[in-house]
Order: sequence, then C-alpha cells, then structure tokens
Amino acid sequence: MSGGQYLNAITENATRLGQRIQESFSEHTRDLAINRGSGSAYLDTVDDGGKALRTQLDSNSDREKLDALKRLVAMISKGRNVSEYFAQVVKNVASPNLEIRKLVYIYLLRYAEQEPDLALLSINTFQRDLADSNPLIRAMALRVLSGIKVPMIGSIVVLAIKKCAADLSPYVRKTASLAIPKCYKLDPSHQPALIGVITTLLADRSPVSIGSAVIAFEGVCPTRLDLLHQHYRRLCRTLIELDEWGQVSLAHILLRYARTMLPRPIVKDGNEEVESDVKLLLTSVQALFQSRNPAVILSATRVIYYAGTPSYLPSVVQPLLRLLIISREVERVALTYIAIIAKSSPSVFAPYYSRFLMRTDDGLQVKLAKMRLLLSLITTDAHQVILREMIDYADDTNEQVASTAIHGIGTCATSVPESTPQCLTALIDMIKGSNDIVVSNAVVVLKNLIQMQLISSVQAHIGTDAHRPIAIIARLAQRIDDINHAQARACVLWLVGQYAAASENSPSLNGVALWAPDVLRKATKGFAQETPLVKLQIITLAAKLTVLDPLDKVLGLLSGYVLSLARYDLNYDVRDRARMVTALLAGVAPAMSVDGDPEERGGVVLRREQVRMVLFDGKSSLVVENQDTPQEEPMLATLSAITEKPMNADSILPDWLEHGVESSLRDSTEETASVPAPLFFSSTQTQSRSKTSSTPIILSPRTSSPPGATSSSGPKATWTDLDTFYADSKSEDEDEDEDEEEEDDDSEEEESEDEEESEGDEDESPEGTAPEGSGDIQQDGSRSLPEPTR
Amino acid sequence: MGIDGLIFLDNTGRPIIQSGFRASPSAYPLLHIDAYNNAAAKAARPGDVDPVLYVQAYNISDGPSACCHIACGDMRLLCPISGDVDPLFAFAFLQAFIDILNEYFGNISAATLKDNFDTVYQLLEETLDSSGQPLTTSPNALRDIVLLPSLMSKLLSAAAANFTSTINAGSGPAAGTFSSQIPWRKANLRYASNEVYVDVHEELRAIVNKHGTALSSNVWGKLEANTKLSGYPDCTLTFSNSHVLTDCVFHPCVRLQKWNRDRILSFVPPDGRFTLMEYRYSPAASASSSAAARLTATTPAVTTGATSSSLAITKDTVPVPIAAKISVEFEENTASFDITLTSRLTSRAIEHVVAELHLGEGATGIKCVASRGTGGSSAFSRGIGAMDVPGVPGSSGASWVFDSKRMVLRWEIPSMQSSSSWNIQGSFTSATSKRPRPSHALQIRFEIATHTFSALKVDQLKILNEQYKLFKGVRGRSLGDIEWRW
Repeated sequence: MSGGQYLNAITENATRLGQRIQESFSEHTRDLAINRGSGSAYLDTVDDGGKALRTQLDSNSDREKLDALKRLVAMISKGRNVSEYFAQVVKNVASPNLEIRKLVYIYLLRYAEQEPDLALLSINTFQRDLADSNPLIRAMALRVLSGIKVPMIGSIVVLAIKKCAADLSPYVRKTASLAIPKCYKLDPSHQPALIGVITTLLADRSPVSIGSAVIAFEGVCPTRLDLLHQHYRRLCRTLIELDEWGQVSLAHILLRYARTMLPRPIVKDGNEEVESDVKLLLTSVQALFQSRNPAVILSATRVIYYAGTPSYLPSVVQPLLRLLIISREVERVALTYIAIIAKSSPSVFAPYYSRFLMRTDDGLQVKLAKMRLLLSLITTDAHQVILREMIDYADDTNEQVASTAIHGIGTCATSVPESTPQCLTALIDMIKGSNDIVVSNAVVVLKNLIQMQLISSVQAHIGTDAHRPIAIIARLAQRIDDINHAQARACVLWLVGQYAAASENSPSLNGVALWAPDVLRKATKGFAQETPLVKLQIITLAAKLTVLDPLDKVLGLLSGYVLSLARYDLNYDVRDRARMVTALLAGVAPAMSVDGDPEERGGVVLRREQVRMVLFDGKSSLVVENQDTPQEEPMLATLSAITEKPMNADSILPDWLEHGVESSLRDSTEETASVPAPLFFSSTQTQSRSKTSSTPIILSPRTSSPPGATSSSGPKATWTDLDTFYADSKSEDEDEDEDEEEEDDDSEEEESEDEEESEGDEDESPEGTAPEGSGDIQQDGSRSLPEPTR
Repeated sequence: MGIDGLIFLDNTGRPIIQSGFRASPSAYPLLHIDAYNNAAAKAARPGDVDPVLYVQAYNISDGPSACCHIACGDMRLLCPISGDVDPLFAFAFLQAFIDILNEYFGNISAATLKDNFDTVYQLLEETLDSSGQPLTTSPNALRDIVLLPSLMSKLLSAAAANFTSTINAGSGPAAGTFSSQIPWRKANLRYASNEVYVDVHEELRAIVNKHGTALSSNVWGKLEANTKLSGYPDCTLTFSNSHVLTDCVFHPCVRLQKWNRDRILSFVPPDGRFTLMEYRYSPAASASSSAAARLTATTPAVTTGATSSSLAITKDTVPVPIAAKISVEFEENTASFDITLTSRLTSRAIEHVVAELHLGEGATGIKCVASRGTGGSSAFSRGIGAMDVPGVPGSSGASWVFDSKRMVLRWEIPSMQSSSSWNIQGSFTSATSKRPRPSHALQIRFEIATHTFSALKVDQLKILNEQYKLFKGVRGRSLGDIEWRW
C-alpha cells in the first residue's frame, strides 16, 4: 500500500472512530442529562415496574444494575416495602463494582431480618468479604452479618466479631464494637465470649475505636466495672483524644466507675480531700470544656457536678453559658440543666444573671425557663434588675408568660423583703391597667403579699401610707367594678371580708371599715351573673359583715337579699353555703331567717363571738399554690429532666462508697509511663518492681516538684512512638502476673497501709510524673520501719 | 436506645426521607411524625413548639420516647430518641448531619434532597449506626465512604462502566481515609495552589432597655477557615491581641496544650471548610490587662485575674452601634408609633438593617411612612439637610412590609451610612375591639462588612513541615442582633 492510501485509511478509520465515540458520548450524555435531575424521577417510581426491575437486576450491564438498585433504595427511603426483590439483589453482592456493592449492602441491611433464610444463603459471601482488602467492605459485611436477626448464626457472628476486633483498621474495630450489643440482644448466651472481646477492645490504643468499645461495654455488661480497673487511668488520660461522641459515652462510664469504685471526696470546713484517681478524672474532664460539641460539654459538667467538690463547680459556668447562644433548641435544653445546678448552688451563677434575660422572640419554654432561673438567682444585690425585668415581662403578649412574670414579682417580694415597696407599687400600677390577664394575676399576687404582711407583724414601716395593707385593700375595693376576672374578683371580695374589721387608724362605722359595705352592695347588684366562685365569696362577705355589725339595718337587708338569692341558686355549692351561713347567723341576727321560717332548727345556736371565731379565725394563713416542686432533683443530662415525665429508662447514678475499692487494682503495666504517683504497694511488690525499673531516672523520696518536672520529661523522651512503648511494657508483663497473685493475699494489709500512705502522699506534689518503681523503693524503704509499730 | 433515626419532613409535614429505623417497630417513625405535626398545629407561634416533644409509648412493652426537631432549610428534621440519652446529644448530632449535607450539596432544600436521595440515604446509613450511636461524622472521612455525586463521576460511569471498579478498589481513594494517621484529614492530598483563608465572623447580641442602657451585650465570634493544602501541613496561627478572646472552644484538630500555654493555635487542618474556633470577645480583659501592664509588673496573674473578674462582669458590655428611639401611643383600639434609628458608627456603613416589630394578634390596617433623616455621608444625600420625599419608594432606600402570617412589621434599610438616622411612622388598628398589644421590643438585625468588634488581628500563619508557596487571606465580618425595649 502506498503512503497516501495508508494515510487515507488511517484518517478514514480515525473519523469513523471519532464518529463512533461522538455518538456513544452523545447517547450517554443524553442519558446523563436526564440523570442529572432524575434523582427525583427515581423517587417517583411506581411499583408496577416490578418486572422491569427484576430484569434490570439480572442484566449484565453495571449501569442497569446501578439504576435498578437506585430505584430500590429510593423506595426504601420513602418507606415502601421492596423485600420481594431480595433474591435478585443478593445475587449482586459479589459484584466487583464498589458502588453496586454498597447499595446492595444498604438493601441487605434493611431487609436481612425480614428474609433470614435468603440472607443465610449468602452468608458465605459475607464471610468471604470479611477478609476483603478494603476496610469499608469488611465493615459493611460485619454490619450485615450482625443485622441478620437469626439466633442460629449467633456463633458465626461472634466469630466474625472476634476476627474484626483484631483487625488492623480502627474503623473495622469500631464496627465490631458496635456489633457486639446487637449480637448480645439476639442471644444473651454469648455473653462470656463477648465479654472476652470487649476486654480486648478496651485495651485498644487507637482513640477512634475506644468510644465504641465503651458503648459495647454498656450494652452487654454494664455492671462489670471491674473490667475497667486496669484501664481506668489510661482512659482518663486519652479522654481528650477521642472523637466527640466517644467522649460523651466514656465520660458517662468513668463517672459511674468513679462513683462505684472510688472514695467520696470529703469536704470539711473549707478543706477538701479528693482522692488522686478522682482528681485525675476531674482534671481530664476539664479539658473537655474546650470542645465545640454541646453534648461533650454537658457530659463534662455532669462528671464535675456529681463527682466533684464545690470548688470545681465554677469551672462549669462559662462553658454552660456559652451553650445558650449556639441555637434555640440547645438553649432550651441547656436552660433546664442550668436551673438544676442553680437550684442547689445559686451563688455559682448569680453574677451572670444578665445572660438569662428574656428576649421577646424566644420560644415559650425558653421564656418560662429563663424566668424561673432568674427568680432562683435573686440575691440582695441583684434584685433590683431582676424585679424590673419581671415588671417588663408582664407586658408580654403570651398569657402564660405574663402571669408567670407577675407571680415572679411576688416571689421577689418574699425572698427579698426590702423590695416589697417596689413590688407593691408595681402591682398596684398593674391593677390600674386595662389588660384582663395582667390585672387578675396582679390581684392574686397582691393578695398573697398582703396576707404575708398582715401575718408577719412587720407592717410597721413599710413604705408610705399607701402601702399599708389596709390601704391597698381599700384601693382594691374601690376598683372592684373594673376587675372582671373571676378569680381576681373572688380574691378581692375575700380580702375585703377578712380584713373589714376596722383598725384604729381608718375611719369606720360601728367597727366596720367604711368601704366594706359598699363592696357588698356592688357585688350583690350583679349577683346573678357571677361565677359560682365569686358567688361563694359574696355570701361569705355578707356573713362576715353581718357578724361585725349585726345591728345595721341596711347591712341586714343586703345580707338577707344575698342569702335568699343564693338559696335558690342553680349551683349546689352556692345553695349549700347559703344554708350553712343562714344557720350560723341564726343566733347573731335573728332577722336573717328568710321567709319567716318558723321551724325551730335543732342543734346548737352560736353566739356572736363564736360565729366571729368561726368565720374569721384561722383563715389568714397563706395558702401558696406551689406549681413545681419536684420531690427530688432530676438528674443532669437525662431525658426525663427535659420532658419532666418519667421515661422508664434512666440509669441510676450509684452513690459513693465511703472508702472505695483499693486503688492498686487500677495499677497496671502501663502505669510506669507518665503517671502521677498514687503509691500503694506492699513491700513484696516493690522488690519485684525493682527488677523492672530499667528507667534511668532515680527519684529521691519526698522531692518537691522541680525534680519531678525534670524527671517527667524522661519517660516521655523514651516513649516517642508506640513500638518502643510496647516493647517496654511487654517485658514488665511477666512480672506483673506474679504481683497480682501476691496482691490478693496482701490486700488486707495493703488497705491499712493505703490509708496511712495516702495521708503522707498528700504532701507530695501530684505533678511529679515519676515512674513509680524507683520512687517506691525509696519511699517504702523509708517507711517500712514505722509501720510495724502502728 | 439512643438516637433511633432521622426523618426529613417537608413544609406540609409529610416525610421525604427517613433512615432505616430497623431497631424499632414499624409504626415508630409515624408516631413521631404525628406528634410533631400535632404540636405544630397547636402552637400559637411557630417558635413556640417545644424542641423536645414527649411522645407516649406505643404499646406496653415499649417505653416513652421523645422527638427532637430542628429546622433545616424549608424542611424540618426530626430525630426520635429513647432511653437514657441527653437531648443535647441529639441536637449536636442533628447539627453535625446538617453540616455534612451542607458540605455535600451546598444549599439544602426539599428539592435538593429529592434529587440526591441515594447519597442522602447512604449518608444516613453511614453516620448513624442502627444501635443508636453515631458512626462516622467527620466530613473528610465521609467523603471517601459516600462518594460525592459530581458530574465527573457520572461522566466516567457513563462512558466506561468498568472504569469505576478500578478506581474504587482497595488501593484507590477509598483507602485514603483508612490509611491516614489523622482521622479528620485525608491522606495524600495534592493541590496545585495551596491556599488558606480565614474568616472572622462576629455577632453582637444585646438587650437594651427603654432608657437606652444595654442590659446585656456580648460579642460571640467564630474563626472559619477554608484550607486547600497538600500533604500534612502543621499550621501555627498567632494573634497579636489574643487577650481579647475568652471562653474559647476549638475544632478537635487544635492542640489544646499549646493554646493554654502560649495562646497560639497549632493544628493540622482538615481539608476544606471548617470552623476552627469559637470565642467570646471580652473588652474587659483587654482593658484590665493593659491597666495591669501600666501598673506594677510584679503582681502575679492570679490576683489581677480575681479583681478583673468582678470588673469583667460589669464592664463586659460592648457598645451598641445603633441607637433607637421608639415611641408608641395607644388610643381606643388604634396605636401609632414613631421609630428612629441612628447609626453610631463614624467610619463605616451598616448594611442590611432589618427592624421587626411584632404587632400582636389581630393587627390590621397598617399604615406606615418610612423616611430618612439628616446625616450621613454626602455621597448619597441630595444636599445637606434635604429630606427625601416621604412615601416615595426607592428615594430613601428604606422599605417596609407587613408579614401577616407572623404579624410582624418589617422595616428594611439596605445601607445605613455613618451617623445617619432613619425614621418610620405609622399606625395600626386591632381587629378585635380590645386595645392592641404589640410586643414591647423592637428586634434589630444588621451586618457590618469588613469590621470586627474585637479588632482581632492575625499576626502570622506559618506552616511547618511543608515547603510550598502559600496564599493566605484573613477577612472579618460582623452581624448584630439587638432587642431594643420600649
């Protein structure tokens, strides 16, 4: 062939190839253009495409399969049941395409428990995938295996878990930990094997997987806190390196461990004694306050609140206050928790009350919570601002908020008596207003305040004359026409009746204050339209006034009118009270008996003084309706604290042991690495320790911190990476085994030594991170002499 | 137990996508959807629905549960929880999930979700394990597990179906996450141009009472970084005035010891956008520290800390850049109001000023006139002292609108020049015969570009252990949210 022909052939082929590529590209991109927006098309797939789906799943083209799988996943995500395609889908589990495999696994995760037989058929594939080179596939295979809820394969799952727990990739180990509780729920008989796996996982070095190991622990054997002895200190120290969710679970468990196994911190007259392991926990947890995750901050707060002493509490304040601005929802939850802490220690939050001021665009629960919180933080210094706030909040558009605010004003007055004049002025101003809700609530609160004042005889010099209780009642009485709310009217009528007995200062007529009978007149005018609550009070008022002044004619006529109206009222209670009052007053004002009832009523007829006693005495004690006083404090960071209802799932926080379990249980091989020195060893141990103290640092006894600080750099320098670290700890392993046996025998001796040594140890600075071995020798050597004399 | 799943509801209350809920009976998600819809229907205002709803037990063997929910775009995201779990855990997880969705899809809306439901479903499966615990929520790790739908990958899958299998085999990018030493950063990243941008976002939140004194005013700030760096860069960020920062919280990548000792941020950043640090601006700290410096140098830090803490609490307020004068008069069942906003800044404009007043139930017949007062830079005024024609839209730039769904009067000023004042006067009546009850506060929101209240200055940003040319940029922006009572 000549060059030219050759060239022609090539160009021809090239153009033909080009055309082909163009065609296929355009064809595919046409599909692509549809694909771009077609996610929603998948979502709207109707189920009659059943046959089409099956053929697609069986086809050879990956694209078809992917298409079909996407449709299936769409239907799953909408909640539709597509389990009938299980068989076809499972066939694709061995596909080499990662996308397809992932979607297949998602489908399997969803339906494996519904079609256990079919799932069982593919168990071999899953088991083979457990050894895949891609850690993602290994993890997915394990998730599917553990998701098949057939108790028969429990042992297979346990084997798979064991295999994955020893995996190199921390992601797979994490999945293994999360699979453990599922396996346990399926068949509790596997518990011993699972506990073995958990023990291995707890010794894991990688911070990625420890969080989930702890979750597995909680799910399978939450009471086996003894498994944590060896790991406690290491876990405290690695707490800060975990991922955020792991930090929450780990802090939870460490708190439980501390409460169960460690001695209670002693607070005596301002001195605090905190055992070193507890202190380790508290300091490790304080580093968590710099995390951005609100759940982490709260779990750290929980640890400090329940395991710490009051001196640690101020460190909790600023992080909690920061939570209030993250979002509305977090604010709502955080306020409840702050209220729990503030109830028991208000002084901690008192200087920061300005952070809890209510905004008008807050949600309802937030507003109520903020008000309650502000009221619990009232101190003599800050009450001015808070009182003014409450007065402002009474203008809120929401009824519940306004009434809580007004009741808050009352609380202000009760807790800080110096503020009473201001409260009274504010309340009286409110009564002059026109808003129903405000007026009625103000009246109720005023009643409580006045009662309080009249009971306690501190009424001598409270503000101006206008503030004297009787004057206030007089003023209320004048405005009875404007008060429409039933409860408020009833309050005013009762007040008038109870305190109508004239005192020396106010003008009166025959022992009754001037304004009182007029109130009765006004009330009886509209008697028929009143609510039963108010009617009852009118009757009582009439009775009281009659007793005070039985001879007054007008009063008698009024009372008679009221009683006869009430006698034929529709409401049973009203009729009943009218009958009772008529009988009571029979001896006081014989003219009262209505309709000239000639029948002699049997029974006792009381004299005036006795009736007076019946009607007036013993009524002026304050009845405070207390809305929310839960008997016991809700626990921080639980669901029931927020919903205020029992949720049937709360874990109970165990109470402290007085002396704690001996802390030598917590010493382990890794202790020689940078540990602050709680030193509770028996003499037998120190000898074996001396063999292992290969570290170059020698510590003299009772050294102060500077040598300790320099020695601390030593161990850190030797263990810069994990390999040398492991190498060292392995050599100490054999020695430790002997030690533990000896430990058990000497446990009783040790305890007495422990207490003695603990007192001595407090002198030493805990900063020193000396390796214990060498430190111990010297110390025990110096102390072995005094011991026998104890 | 724990977080049982997630449900996305659209704005009519119907579910769009939900996670598997394998560990619960099948009616469980429906129970929670109903609980939410009922609560939303009963609430007077949309903000009044309790974020944590109590849901009764479905049958005797189950326990009660709760439904935590949060707004997300035009949708609602529900999260049923049960057992001994703290609701903050659920909210933190919800926020993390929304951040992941933002990173994958940018703007989230019901339409975006429907378009990418398979990715969303895979994300749901991967972030939450069926035992109720979060599994993988770090966006960097997720990017390899759940592949981002991009045009490139679609093109590849269309043109050559077998191509993907080789890419996605164990040695491909999927292994990147699992072989990386640091969980939040992918291994083997390479960029042509290495850039780091740091944005300082600050927000002033204040409550001002009717006499004009600020009852509480705090500035909360965030440092948001966007890094495109190759390899494993170890960054060090120093500030020239780090003493203005208090109450700091950090991304998990930051080394805390270095900060606590030297106030230097030392971190290996994750790839892409992330929030490096959040803080509160404390003017008192700077005042007292400078005062202490002027006094003796020998006073130990502890005592100055103690005295400054009491000072700090009282002097911790930040001056508010806008002043408002509000007067409202009531007669019978009408109310008339007159609001003037003045900018107190002298050198810059305040932008996107929005003032909202809730007019109370049954408010109708709103009539307003928005105008611009005197003052401001001459570039925009029509002569000194000239008043714009009131009522003519566009002449003064301000506009008002009444939102009848929320019963809120909204006054918008696109740009408020320094020392300028703006005014709105109007009246409204209440449909019921009672006196109108507007809320006693004006909510003012605004933005100030390229300005930070704290004047935080980044001194330098160095990268150790990597040698390449670095482009860096630092920018500041401030927002404000003030409640002004009358």
